[in-house]
This record gives sequence, C-alpha cells and structure tokens, in this order.
Amino acid sequence: MSNRPVYPFVAIVGQEKMKLALILNIINPTLSGVLIRGEKGTAKSTAVRSLANILPAIEVVKDCPFQLLPDSAPDVCEGCSRQECGCKSNPPGPVETVHRGIRVVELPVGATEDRVVGTMDLEEALKKGEKRFEPGLLAAAHRGILYVDEVNLLEDHVVDILLDSAAMGVNTVEREGVSFSHPARFTLVGTMNPEEGELRPQLLDRFGLCVHIEGINDPEDRVAIMERRAAFDEDPEGFCEQWNEDSKSLAEKIEKAIALYPQVHLDRALLYEIASYCLDVGVDGHRGDIIILKTAKTMAAYNGRTEALKEDVNAAAELALPHRIRRQPLQNIMLDVGELRRQKQMHPEASA
Amino acid sequence: MYNPVYPFSALIGQERLKRALILNAINPRIGGVLIRGEKGTAKSTAVRALGELLPEIRVVAGCPYSCDPDQPQSFCGQCRNRADGVQVRLRRIRVITLPLNATEDRVAGGIDFNLAVKTGLRSFQPGLLAKAHRGILYVDEVNLLDDHIVDIILDAAASGRNSVEREGVSSCHLSRFILVGTMNPEEGELRPQLLDRFGLCVEVVSEKDLEKRAALMHRREAYDRDPWGFIRRFQAENDNLTRQIVSARSSLKVVSFPDHLRRLVSEICTESNVAGHRADLVIEQAAKAAAALKGHPEVTVEDVQEVAPLALAHRKRETAPPPPPPKHEHNPERPPENPEGKQQEREEHEQPEQDQAHSEGPLETGEAPPSEGPGEAQGNSEERPQARGFDSADQFFDVGETFKVKKFASPKDRVFRRGSGRRSRTRVAQKQGRYVQSTINRNTGDVAFDATLRAAAPYQLKRKNGSGLAVILRPEDIREKIRERRIGNFVLFVVDASGSMGARGRMTASKGAIKSLLLDAYQKRDHVAMVSFRKDDAVLNLPPTASIELAAGLLKEMPVGGRTPLSAGLVKSYEVLRNYLVRDPTARPIVIFITDGKANVALGDKKPLEESLELAVRLAADERIRFIVVDTESQGLLHFGLACKLAGAMNAQYFKTEDLKADTLLNIAKENVS
Repeated sequence: MSNRPVYPFVAIVGQEKMKLALILNIINPTLSGVLIRGEKGTAKSTAVRSLANILPAIEVVKDCPFQLLPDSAPDVCEGCSRQECGCKSNPPGPVETVHRGIRVVELPVGATEDRVVGTMDLEEALKKGEKRFEPGLLAAAHRGILYVDEVNLLEDHVVDILLDSAAMGVNTVEREGVSFSHPARFTLVGTMNPEEGELRPQLLDRFGLCVHIEGINDPEDRVAIMERRAAFDEDPEGFCEQWNEDSKSLAEKIEKAIALYPQVHLDRALLYEIASYCLDVGVDGHRGDIIILKTAKTMAAYNGRTEALKEDVNAAAELALPHRIRRQPLQNIMLDVGELRRQKQMHPEASA
Repeated sequence: MYNPVYPFSALIGQERLKRALILNAINPRIGGVLIRGEKGTAKSTAVRALGELLPEIRVVAGCPYSCDPDQPQSFCGQCRNRADGVQVRLRRIRVITLPLNATEDRVAGGIDFNLAVKTGLRSFQPGLLAKAHRGILYVDEVNLLDDHIVDIILDAAASGRNSVEREGVSSCHLSRFILVGTMNPEEGELRPQLLDRFGLCVEVVSEKDLEKRAALMHRREAYDRDPWGFIRRFQAENDNLTRQIVSARSSLKVVSFPDHLRRLVSEICTESNVAGHRADLVIEQAAKAAAALKGHPEVTVEDVQEVAPLALAHRKRETAPPPPPPKHEHNPERPPENPEGKQQEREEHEQPEQDQAHSEGPLETGEAPPSEGPGEAQGNSEERPQARGFDSADQFFDVGETFKVKKFASPKDRVFRRGSGRRSRTRVAQKQGRYVQSTINRNTGDVAFDATLRAAAPYQLKRKNGSGLAVILRPEDIREKIRERRIGNFVLFVVDASGSMGARGRMTASKGAIKSLLLDAYQKRDHVAMVSFRKDDAVLNLPPTASIELAAGLLKEMPVGGRTPLSAGLVKSYEVLRNYLVRDPTARPIVIFITDGKANVALGDKKPLEESLELAVRLAADERIRFIVVDTESQGLLHFGLACKLAGAMNAQYFKTEDLKADTLLNIAKENVS
C-alpha cells in the first residue's frame, strides 16, 4: 500500500465543503464520520484515500490487532491469545508501543459478515485445538477511519452490524462458536451516489456530517484538475514531492487544532441558537444538536480560535443537518439548510 | 469496563423511559420494555446506562447458569451435584447484549469445543440465554433481528427455559430474563408475538424545550471530551438511584395490591380493547414496583394510572370504528351481492378519508355517487396551471393519504438466488447472507468451519496420530453453511392514468395507495419500476431502480387524462418484465396494476376489453411473475367489476384500494391511552 503513492489531499481542486468535513472529523473523531453524496467522478474516493498523508499519529501497542493503548482494555487482553504484542509474555514485561498514523480501513461492499466482525481462527483451532478470535475489519478500524465506498449498496445485514458497533463503540461477537467483544470506535466515512438508492434512516443518522458534492463547472478549475491528474499519473512520486510542503503545513494545522480543541469555548447563548435552529428546521432526535455544537467548536479550533462564533454554528449546521431534517416519506434530502430555515421562519405555519 | 458508559442520572428528560427501566430493575416480573422512537433520542444510551445502576443478586459461585442459592429445587445439574454445598457469591445483575449478527449456536448454546477435543466428551456450552438468566437480555434495533433468532428467544421467554438438542448435545436450563429492546419504527415493525413479550412499551420523542436541549448538548459534549471525569461527577447520583432500587426491591414483596384496583385494571384493559390477559398482569406488577419505589405499602390508583399507559401502548387495539350513519338513509337500494359487511359502509363513498373530513356537511347524507362529490372538488383544486406542454385535458392530482400496506411476498422456495433486500426470504447460493445453520449435505463448498470442528471434536482422542495437529478432520466431518437472506423483489407498478381515474378524486386516493406501496417497497428494499398508460400509449416512466425517492417524485408529477389503453399498458409491462427476467432469471417480480379496468383503446382490431383480457392471460403465463390488481372503481350504483375480471384473467390477487390497508390489529403506541 505504501509503495504506491496516493494523490495528495491538498492537490484536490475545489470541493471545499467535503475537504472541510473530512478535516473536521480528523481533528475531532467524536463527530462520528461524514457521508459524501455526489455524482460519479467528483473525487469522492480520491479524497478519502488521500487522507493517509495528513493524518495525525496515535500511540498503539505494537502488533496489537485491536489498536489498543497499553492497559486501556484489560478485558480484551485477557480474552486475546495473541503472542505478538507481548502483553501475555511471561514474565509480563514492558509492552512496546509505537506511534503510527491513523489508519483508513476500507470496507468493501461485498465484504462478508465474518470478515467484518471477526470469526473463529481456523488455524489455531486445527493446530492447537483451541478457539481463538480472529479479528475482523472492525478491530482494524478502531481509533481510525472506516471507509465504505458506495455505502448505499452495502448488504443489509452488514449495515446492521455497522449500526450495532457504531452505536456502542463496541463490537460484540456471538457467532460461530466465538464469544468475544472488543472496542470498535471509528470514524465512519461513506460515499454514495444517491441515484442508486437512499440509505436507511438509522444508518444515515450515524454519519455526523453530510456533504453533497457536484462536478465543478468553472472551466479554469476543470483544466487544473486535468493538469494535476495527468501530472500525477505521469510521475506520482514527483507530484507528491511537489505538494509535500502543503501537506505538511496542513498536517501541522490539524495537530494544532487537536491541541486547541479542549480550550474552545462556546457561549451559552449560542447553545440556544443551536437548539432553536434544529427546532426550526425540524430534526429528529438530539444527535443533530450535539453534532452542531461539536462541529462549531472544532471549526473554531481549526481556524485557530478559542471562541466559537455564530458563523461557526451556521456553517456547522450546513454540514450536520442536511441528512437529519425530517422529511416527508420518500422526499429527497435537503441541500440548503440555511435557506430552509429562512423559509420556515418566514412561513412558520407551512412547517407545521 | 473498558468502555465508558454515559451515566443514567445525567440523562435529561425522557422521564417515562427512565421510569420504565427502573421499574423493570425493581420487579423483573414486569417482563421488560420496548423502546420505540426516532433516532438520536437516547434509547440505547439509557439502556446501557441502566446496566451501571443494577443491584447485586445472590448466585451460586462458578455456576454458568446463575443458579439462585435460595432456591435449591431449581438448581441446575451441576449445582445439585456439588457435594460440599454451594458457595454464594454476590454479583451485579447483568445486561447481556444480543448482537444482531449472533448465530444460533451462541444464542442457545452448543457443544463445548475445547472440552470435546481434549477429553472426547460431549458437553454443553451455555450460550447467551444461559448468561441472561436472572438478568437483562438487551437487543439493540430489535426489529432487525433475524427471524430464527427471534423464534429461539420467543420460545425461551414463553417457557422460561431453554432446551437445546443439537450437535449431539442435549440440555435444558432455566432462562428467565428481562427482555429490553430498542427500535426505530422507520425500519419496520416487530412481529406481534415478540411485541407482546415486552411488558412495557415507551415511545420516545426528542425534547422540544430549548432550555433542555441546550443542557443536553452541553452535557453530551462535556462527556465526549472527558468521559471518565464526567462519570465521576455523576457517581453520587447514580449510587443514590441504586440505593433506591435496592430498597424498593426488598420492599416489593410486602407491597399489597388492593382488590378494588384489580377491577380498575380490568376496566382499563377492556376499555383499550387489548388482546389477552398479559396487560392486566403487567399493570399489576408494574404498579407494585411503582409503589415500592415510592416506599408505599399499598398500590394506589395513581400508581396504576402511572403505569397503565406503558403497558397498554403496544397492546391497545384500534377500537371499533365510529358507528356509520344508518344504512337505510344512505342507500336503500344497494345491490345485495356486496360481499363485505362492515367495509361496505365505507366503500359506498369514493374516498373514506375525505368523506370523514366532510362528514359534518349536510350534503353528506345524499346519494352515494354524486357527480360533483367532495373528492372531485379537492382534485380540481390541486390542479396545476397548464404548462409544460401537457394538453388542457391533463390534470395533476395530489398524493392522497398513505397507510401501512398488507404484507405480500413471493413464497419461499428452494431456489437459490442472488440479491439483497427485505421482502422475501430465500436461500442464497453465494457465500453471502446470514449464516443460519449448518448442514451435512455438501454442494456449495461454503464450509462451516465452526460446525465442522464441533462435529469432529468428540473423535479427536481416537484419531490422534502424531501429526502435530490438534484436530484431525475427516471428510465426513465437513459441514456446510446454509445462508439465508431476504431479497427485495422487483415491483412493477402499472398505473392507469386515464381520464376515468381522474373522476371524483380517484387518482388522489390511488396515488396515496401507490405511495403507501412505495413506502413498503422502501422498507423491504425492493427495486421498483413504473409504467403508466393513458391516451393511446403506455410509457415506462421509471426504469427499474432502487431509488424509491425517484419513483415518489415521479408519482407526484404524473399527469392524468385521456382514454384508457389497457392493452398497451399490458404490453409495456411485459417488455419491462421480460428484460428484467433475462438479466436475472431467478427473480420473482411482483406486478401491481392500479386501474379500474375500463379499457377503451385497443392495439389491434379487436374490442379493447376483449383484447386486454387476452393479453392478460398471455402475460400471466410466466409463472415467475406474481400479479396484484388494485381496483380503483367505486362501489356505486354503476359497478362494472372490470378490474376484477382482469384479475381473474391473470390469476391475480385482487384488492380494493381500501383493502390494501394492513390489519390494524395492533395499533402501535399512541401516547394518549388513559
């Protein structure tokens, strides 16, 4: 994977909203992901894959299949019979940890259930006659990004699993003779083309943010896209080298924002503003409120401020609400949230 | 505990939900709670938070079935054989999560693999139902649980025990658990039997109060920033709640239930028209728990009133419809051959919904087929300004009221097919779908390793041959997976958009019916396509797609007007179906005709009606296709019954628009019960 360079994130032309949503999710993983809706060939997948270059590092136990920190989950280590990490070595020595970038784990649309949640380790069973848990994609995605291309085409029963673990942050496996559970908190990133069918409401709600992207109509930008793509295809290494500075400065900006986030303050009056925003446009549940609050604060941190402003709240609502607004059955997803709010405020009776 | 849990006492609002959970923690005999509600309303959060509050119970140390040391008569085999008496241990009541991907062997239990390999003994390894004994069995998104797992749970819940006969082991143990489930009704409903197993039902909605919403955001964000610190802040309050639960549990035994309240309970239940007696029992138990929580020695009327709505929400049946105006006034010369009894009262009008809206009007008692009924007026009022090149005869009608439609699915057969969805269950041949069972038959190469190993395990001692492998497999051990999943069907809508459909708001009602069917199609993940016919031609408005939104949009825009080329509609549907079946020969399409059957344009020289019936017979020759005819004709004086003939020709299921509505046997969860 690392031997073939990926297209640099910073070299993507336009699609600012999508880029912003992804960056915000990196800064604050509790935003719980982003859904990117749009037509084909709008750099949806490219953007997600290219994140690898700018992701911050985390500390994990070396060779731990569950991406854990030392002593963070004694229950898991107890049930885990891996030898590689040294947790179980005798005598229990100091566990080695490494710093590595956050991972983007891709969930292919055709993935089977057992690969996603994990299953019985066959080799172990045959060789030693013992049941051992073989971790699946959810274990690999813990503390990272789980990326589903064409998420609306995902098998229904795989979606159920995602819902299950996304809700609890834990993957519980009770199948094929194995009983095991391990933490699985991940940022869910999905791309989809709405023409091929909509997502189930429950899954839709699990994505913190939602952006809709379209092809770019500015001829100059289109030319830039072509030029850059051609340059990348011709000489990937050279192209990446060229953008290296920009990538680095973005990565630094992200790390600064992560450090700044805990200090960001949001005025109490703005909390009311958020709540009334959600009530105005009509949102199911409270996840919308919470996500707006977090997004606004993250945005402030990204811009180097310690105070979240009204603009942050408005911009956050644009990202957090499109897929949460209560729709008439079978109605399409709303694109312009701010506009909708203005309409509803002007004609409050129409929204009833 | 490696995962922080949001503290129960930090939850804002949702008082009924919290109350229902606490009552269950006090009195397990209430039988659990079902939490229904829109997404993001702390449904799952509350249940998981409850797990931190639960008090401790006495169990036999080391017993996998959590035997109660105070009830030796119901000990499991192991405990009975403990020679030196049993050791008692205190532990918290457990919340056992049943994940949606659970397989049968883990839910009910199966052979103990490790032991079998090492000793060659077949012994039973307890599953989730054993773990959940005397605890809470929690299913998130319970409406998505697979049917065969639901069957196992129902069985255990009904008998209080779990019997296993599989893989050469046989076992039976107690399994009494509190069933707690959450669901979002948007994803489909629960099976009625399962619904009834839940003692209480709470409908949750989001807070509308700004103050509370703001507080809620604030807390949640604080929690996400520093979960452990947040939990510490609420520890005292949580402990306090636990103490209340513990003391209520101990006083529960002495709480009495006065006789006069029994009568009240039965009156409440009769009034709500509930089925069975479970509601009465649940109310009694829940009221006792409520009294115990308040520290009262006796249940009061308030306690009953407090818990009754929770017990009745999901059991209340629709009360009989308000008595219709007397028959004779209405339509004395009604033809006697009208089949349905109660329904005919409603069908004599074009549109029951709209008639009800106008029922105050004095005109309403007039004859049934008025030429300018209220429906017509409404239809016209929705008419759009003529535009976009439709001619003046074209009309646009609003989409009528939607409702929940009856279940229909292709019959389950033994054909293996591809696809995904939720309507019809089918065996699948690919290595996809849910692994439901293993089989000794071999034909797919999809080896069920777990079942294979379990099959081989007991023989390992005999087979030892120094190969270095712990488990030696023989061909006869191999088991294969049987996978099953629901596939969505392909549903083709064939809509009559001729002028006759426009009369008296028929189209509005029909559009309502179509939209209801589309909604159903969405929940079942069907592919849909839509053909409409009017004037001289039929058009494929919507080629097969999974985007139901597209279909709904189209429905709204559909113009109505002109004559009725039913034959053309039939031919067009045939083309669509043929193409679809070529691509996927195992598909089982469902075709829904929405028409009054009054064909008046032919393709050839024959009479339009005759021709269309002939075509219909030919179309129905393909056994893979199922037909449904929805008759939009009114039950007036002039009744042609042409759609019925069409249905006969195609061997189709025949419905009136009104008949499509699903049985309203269980009117789910209306807040205003009392």
